[in-house]
Amino acid sequence: MHLLRIALAALMLGGGAAVLAQTGRDVPPAASTANPSGQNPTAASVREDQLLRELNKLQGRVSIPDGKAALLEQPQGREWRQFREGWLPWIGGIAILGMLLALFGFYFTKGRIRLDQTEESGVKILRFNAFERFMHWLTAVCFIVLALTGLNYIFGKRLLMPIIGPDAFAALSQWGKYAHNYLAWPFMLGLLLMLIVWVKDNIPNRVDVAWIRKGGGFLGDAHPSAYRFNAGQKMIFWIVVIGGLLMSATGILMLFPFSATDINGMQLTQAVHAVIGVLFIAAILAHIYIGSLGMEGAYDAMGSGEVDLAWARRHHDLWVEEQRAKTASGPQVHGARPVPAE
Amino acid sequence: MKTIILAIVAAVLLAGAAAYLLSVNQKPAYQAFSTTGARVTPTDNLVGPNWSGDPQGRGAGHRG
Repeated sequence: MHLLRIALAALMLGGGAAVLAQTGRDVPPAASTANPSGQNPTAASVREDQLLRELNKLQGRVSIPDGKAALLEQPQGREWRQFREGWLPWIGGIAILGMLLALFGFYFTKGRIRLDQTEESGVKILRFNAFERFMHWLTAVCFIVLALTGLNYIFGKRLLMPIIGPDAFAALSQWGKYAHNYLAWPFMLGLLLMLIVWVKDNIPNRVDVAWIRKGGGFLGDAHPSAYRFNAGQKMIFWIVVIGGLLMSATGILMLFPFSATDINGMQLTQAVHAVIGVLFIAAILAHIYIGSLGMEGAYDAMGSGEVDLAWARRHHDLWVEEQRAKTASGPQVHGARPVPAE
Repeated sequence: MKTIILAIVAAVLLAGAAAYLLSVNQKPAYQAFSTTGARVTPTDNLVGPNWSGDPQGRGAGHRG
């Protein structure tokens, strides 16, 4: 029995030496170690690309808790990488730079939408109360940080790192990742609050159709009527709600990776999160423009909460009538001059 | 402006609460996806806490 073991060991050692000779790395190639037949015995063996082509994925078995580690290679990984490194920066760049160019073009051709001077100018009407402004700014502040840190995931290594260097970029990205993961939660809270508080004022109706037909006042002479929110604002509301909910759902899936889906699902989740994210940023750029630089008097609505009655009459005439019917000259409307009773 | 500052303060506080809750409920990748035998952590591994090659963490580099 002992002799048999020795013979087996010698056989194995001999086989190992033969394998080393074939690799040509550890044993120098020499005539004495070359295969005497002159043929490569592994020439016909299955290669990695053949296996991948036939099986579609290469996988094995592992004993660690992470069963996903058994999957070595699959085509979807390369497709996702191609999207992540190839298509996504272009989609993001075109969406965001395209929107910025459109807004610059609009500003320099049409200019600022000016405030009307009427007999109601100077009289203030409460447009958004303190809680509404709070939930708007809670969402907005978080959105700005989420947008900047999100863009860093796509463009940071291309645009920032060459300027600030790899060490500063690594530190910035790490803190950006913390901010992105943690500020997502107050963003989601603000989103839910806005949905609850404002949904009743954002149901589309016939007035919105007329508003769109008149291009929001740019087509034709008369400014189209609107209730509390015009069709453009309703579009922004639903973009924020639907886009925000999709961002929240995909974001939570990425905060808890593989909790609900496999590697392909995670890749799809990341792609959806990124594409909606850049489109979301482009849409909010338009919202920021029209709420600040683009329209005189619009910022006051979210700044102090009170807007000029002449502004409100021009852009939200039906809402003003609703408010006047509710309060007449009560606490809702106040200012330098009393609003004449009708 | 008061509302904006209040919103920023609320966002930071809520983010802090989220950070705490996530840290309690989430495990680092090296714990979640490996057995104890396979874990390599910065505080208890073969290359030392400074990744210097010294398991005791006394030197800045491996001195052979």
